[in-house]
Amino acid sequence: MTHKLCSRPLSTTASRRQFLYGLGASLGSVALTDLLAADSPRSTGPLEPRKPMHPARAKAVIMLFMEGGPAHMDTFDPKPTLTRLHKTESKSTRSLASGFKFHVGSPFKFRKVGQAGLDMCDQWHYLADPEVADELCNYRGCTAESLNHPEALFHMNTGSRLGGDPAIGSWVTYGLGSENQNLPGYVVMTELALPQGGSTNWNNGFLPAHYQGTRLRPEGSPILDLTSPRHKSRRHQRQFLDQLAFLNEQHQARHPQHRDLAARMESYELAYRMQTEVPGVIDLAGEPDHIQEMYGLHDDETAAFGRQCLMARRLVEKGVRFVQIFSGGWDSHDYLERGHSARIKSVDKPMAALIKDLKRRGMLDETLVVWTGEFGRTPDNNKRGGVYAIGRGHNADAMTMLLAGGGVKPGAVVGATDAIGATAVDCVHPIRDVHVTLLHLLGLDDNKLTYFHGGRYKQLSQFGGKVIDELLA
Amino acid sequence: MANLRLRSILAALLLGVTASADDHVTERNFTLKVLPLLKAKCLGCHGGDTEDVQGGLDVRSRAALIKGGESEEPALVPGDPEASPLYQAIRWDGLEMPPKENDRLTEAQIAMVKSWIVAGAPWPDEATQRRHRAEAAAIESTDEGVLVRTSGGLSDEWTLRRYRPEDLWAFRPVKRPPVSTGTHPVDYFISKRLAPTSIEPAAQADPVTLIRRATFDLTGLPPTPEQISAFREEWSANPDNAWEQLIDRLLASPHYGERWGQHWLDVARYADTGGYSNDYERSNMWRYRDYVIRSFNDDKPYDEFIVEQLAGDEIWEERPPGRRDPELLVATGFLRLGPWDPAMVKKPQARQIYIDDVVNAVGQTFLATTMRCVKCHDHKFDPIPTRDYYRMYAAFATTQLAERPASFLPEENREGFDEGRTHVERLLAFASERTEALRRKREAAARRWYQEHGSNYVPHEERKNLPDESKPPRHVGLDHHEIGRLKVREQDQWIWTRRLERYQPMAQSVYSGPDPKFLNARKLRVPGKRRTNTEFVNHILTGGALEAPGDIVQPGVLSGLGHPVDPSAEDPYLVESELRGRRLGVARWIAHENNPLTTRAIVNRIWQHHFGKPLAGNPNNFGVKGAKPTHPELLDWLSTQFVDRGWRMKRLHKLIMTSRAYKQSSHHPQIDSLGSVDPGNDLLAYFPTRRLSAEELRDAMLHVTGELNPTLGGLPVMPEINMEVALQPRMIQFSLAPAYQPSRTPAQRHRRSIYAYRVRGQANPFFEVFNQPNPNESCEARDAAAVSPQAFTLMNSDVMSDRSIAFAQRLEREVPTLEKRVERAFLLAFGRSPSRLERTRMIDYVRRMEQEHRGARPDIVTHPTRITRSLVEELSGKSFEYDEILPVFEQYVPDAKPADVGPGTRALADLCLALFNSNEFLYVY
Repeated sequence: MTHKLCSRPLSTTASRRQFLYGLGASLGSVALTDLLAADSPRSTGPLEPRKPMHPARAKAVIMLFMEGGPAHMDTFDPKPTLTRLHKTESKSTRSLASGFKFHVGSPFKFRKVGQAGLDMCDQWHYLADPEVADELCNYRGCTAESLNHPEALFHMNTGSRLGGDPAIGSWVTYGLGSENQNLPGYVVMTELALPQGGSTNWNNGFLPAHYQGTRLRPEGSPILDLTSPRHKSRRHQRQFLDQLAFLNEQHQARHPQHRDLAARMESYELAYRMQTEVPGVIDLAGEPDHIQEMYGLHDDETAAFGRQCLMARRLVEKGVRFVQIFSGGWDSHDYLERGHSARIKSVDKPMAALIKDLKRRGMLDETLVVWTGEFGRTPDNNKRGGVYAIGRGHNADAMTMLLAGGGVKPGAVVGATDAIGATAVDCVHPIRDVHVTLLHLLGLDDNKLTYFHGGRYKQLSQFGGKVIDELLA
Repeated sequence: MANLRLRSILAALLLGVTASADDHVTERNFTLKVLPLLKAKCLGCHGGDTEDVQGGLDVRSRAALIKGGESEEPALVPGDPEASPLYQAIRWDGLEMPPKENDRLTEAQIAMVKSWIVAGAPWPDEATQRRHRAEAAAIESTDEGVLVRTSGGLSDEWTLRRYRPEDLWAFRPVKRPPVSTGTHPVDYFISKRLAPTSIEPAAQADPVTLIRRATFDLTGLPPTPEQISAFREEWSANPDNAWEQLIDRLLASPHYGERWGQHWLDVARYADTGGYSNDYERSNMWRYRDYVIRSFNDDKPYDEFIVEQLAGDEIWEERPPGRRDPELLVATGFLRLGPWDPAMVKKPQARQIYIDDVVNAVGQTFLATTMRCVKCHDHKFDPIPTRDYYRMYAAFATTQLAERPASFLPEENREGFDEGRTHVERLLAFASERTEALRRKREAAARRWYQEHGSNYVPHEERKNLPDESKPPRHVGLDHHEIGRLKVREQDQWIWTRRLERYQPMAQSVYSGPDPKFLNARKLRVPGKRRTNTEFVNHILTGGALEAPGDIVQPGVLSGLGHPVDPSAEDPYLVESELRGRRLGVARWIAHENNPLTTRAIVNRIWQHHFGKPLAGNPNNFGVKGAKPTHPELLDWLSTQFVDRGWRMKRLHKLIMTSRAYKQSSHHPQIDSLGSVDPGNDLLAYFPTRRLSAEELRDAMLHVTGELNPTLGGLPVMPEINMEVALQPRMIQFSLAPAYQPSRTPAQRHRRSIYAYRVRGQANPFFEVFNQPNPNESCEARDAAAVSPQAFTLMNSDVMSDRSIAFAQRLEREVPTLEKRVERAFLLAFGRSPSRLERTRMIDYVRRMEQEHRGARPDIVTHPTRITRSLVEELSGKSFEYDEILPVFEQYVPDAKPADVGPGTRALADLCLALFNSNEFLYVY
């Protein structure tokens, strides 16, 4: 076999086959055959798109994770009784805190919005727009287990409080693959600071590493080490890759039986393609001004979350399967009014824009949007530093979620919490049932989406769960 | 006659039982097979709590089945399976029950239910059922399987269920299979399985492949070119001698313990912090890590290694004060490795979380048994009743966590204590100074407030509990930036105060006693006065719930192994029931040659790391559902050898490595036909290939560049990591964790990877991308999937750029011409010379790259000594900024960066980078 160095620069739109022939001059024959096989419909690469198990209502998920635990009674679940009880003593023994406890009424007023009359506190302006509000389903029946942030985050993200099992996004990409092979199938966006528990929240656990969430960083390099150092040009890198391909091909000729070599060579190929694809998808400059405005990119308070929401739409448009955005600061143990109003302000406009934008593009039907925290908050609080602290503790017995699109019942309230929001009382389901429902909407059956590990078939819900039919359209 | 018949039918109807021999068999089958099946497969959703019964269908009685559920149709039509929805459901015909694919009934089970329905679906009463069960219990082994005697399940069905003998392979005594003389015993067992196929084993690998394989295997490092050429010479003189000497040399290397200690730490879940919201450092956890490395290097008998880790403190307490070896306390660090933090958890729950975790860890690590399932119910597949789980639970229920005084040992490396302490004190002083300034400002405002209100100043601490009206607002005088900063500084103050514990002679350990009054992971100490007279009663916790205590249990061990604690005792599976001595009892029971799980578990792990795959496919689960061993006789034979040779690992390594199987090539001439006969290479017709682990990859590069500092043990070291990650803010409870500061000098940084600081909340990005496992879960085998982030890291990261420049500089130092440098680079990285084609291409490449580099101007790297952070203040929802100092960068000695070297070196470094990225470097054959 003779080889000629490839000096032709690759166009960014080069097809897979073109790319292979471009690099192919310096790829070993076995690898080439394998890579070409990936083009055929029989291919079963780890991220190749796979058919759902039953007809799917949603193709992709955008999960907006409000880290810290938003208070249901200060967002979407009004509690007039609590307002009446404000600052009276609470005898509840649910929370961990001991000592004097007092009820905390919501600092916000509520009103009903849209045709469907969903409850929203007066801090939500954009979400209250009927075009958006009537798409939303407010679920009030979910219960968590842990009162501690990282364990509760792990639970909501991986189905287990312990941390270390595969994340829901990993399960979904394991089940469905991804529509775009030049981008990761499962993308995570956080604030500059990682949420508590860090990358364990989007870890692939015992699933193969292909299903790990890839973090798009808000500052600096969007993916760690995505690009080569500034002093190395694209041509420089092209030559490096050719040289590497030459070494690998020499090596492969000596180890024709070793199948892993082709996969590793392919991972470089994907890396090279991602280097052009990723900057393209995260560069928002090409978005028209009115879209940027709609997502709140022109306002400091909403720009960070707005950018991520807009990026999420672009990623889903490109075929990414699961996008997760973490937004922190909801842990209002004190100064509830300031804390929650600032948090609501930072997400209200971008969320509304995301729903509207997806809807106008005809994508909302097939995109499931989920807004949730890791737990809800208590109707009462302790004194802090001897002062009546107007805030709330962690509450695993009641919380609130919003769902939209992707086969979810629009303009509905499902489930209920008691008169003061202490505990869920209607349509009560543990987190695993929410997970099973999300999988169901994606055409996946939790009981069949299993992975044999450590001598047991494992599944997201751990031991099985129920679809919450009330949430389905 | 007719009259008689009628009477008997009447009698049968009245009694609800039938009397014929056939009926007897049907009822018996129902009692022993169908009923347990219904209970196991249906009852979870169709029985028990009436509110929760799915579809309203209850399968707990014949009448309920005939009545049916919400559909108001009978679920069961006696005599007519086809008309019985129950039968359709279990066949997944229309209805699909049980709904989980993995729970589906087998053909045989479906047939059993069918013949029961055909026979009229008899459902004998409890007394008859009991009689059938008693009869069955008398027969040890039937064609339906064997009984296993245990302490007993929650139901008779469970206690009397039968197992297929082959499923119990691990629970049965280790056999001593005969071996033939003349062949290496390992090869005897391997060829015994290979012989019936027409597949020949692969040829022996060449000596260069072998020395690379053995050196990585035993030390996690590559051989040097000099070692390779010496070995080739010895090999050509006498291959067997050369090979034995090589193994002996490698086993004697202190790097052996670093490599094999890592395998142990993967299973044990080593990290330097406790995880979850606070992610507190576990001060001096490194002493346990070094204890493990030392134990491997000293070839400590495995039975001692077990007992020390599980009950070192109890042995320590038994000894007279002069003979109390602090290492015994250090060893119990094993019991401190799980992620745990009782913050925001009630004490009983926090204790339960700990004990559940430790019971499961002990099961997985030492017994290859996953205990988590048995917490809530009798084991679905294995002969482990939930009673045994709670006996083990009781054995660990008096285990209390504590940092305990333990003087440093002469063999422990205390390098860097002074520099480290100075560094921490500096950070503490900064935090304290800022805290005080903010507090002064607040108190000045408070004084003004009191003045304005005409009352006397009350200091901050004293006014806490006064009514709101009689004191200034909580953060008087501070704006939201300052409120946020004060909180961060106060956190920092105690983080750094606590960090000073590192330099104290203490160990992460445990003691036996009653639960302490308070639990706080920030500080866990042995109480001055230990209550000893406390009654400690343990129950089975039904469904794993603290709120649902069942039978009382005594501390004990697994009863299904036929391996008692004390054969003469009334209940031979119980251990000490005093507060102290329970763990020691369990430890000695585990570390016993008759415990069939213990020896098989460790021998299987050792085999796994030599061959890259275990004999029994799930090293953490030997249960019914775990993969069966490919060579059960070999596993047993090695287990007996292990015990016979004093539980010493080095002897086992040598025994395995001197086999032909270990020395065979990774190439096989019949690879294509093997692909269909034995796709998983279970027969070991050729040697499995493996990718370097994350740690091996980094260590091998440092070794090749000549930068590796081979010092053993000591304080965790801080290698350089991606600076974006190092400085990236990371949430912990109430605050941000301090930034990651690498160690100051190259020698301090370029230590082996096992010494790198392991923070649960902040994975080292290089290690993480190369599949270093998450330390929250025990890792039985590492993943090595090739994903593109690995390519990004290896091509573009600063860490790799630094290594390739260091490699280039080494080549420039050692040999004069480009041609010789290429030659040397291949020898160092691959252990071989380049081919002529490779040589030409590499030289050409370096020359071309030098041209590219001439015009380029690399960035000058600077390290910040102070950074500004911003954080959303949780109380106000507003962001604030504060600065953080990074004193390590004040006198930092960086590695050579691209801007520090000329275009020639950078071009040579490009070649080095390609070698480090190449498959030849990453794989071991």
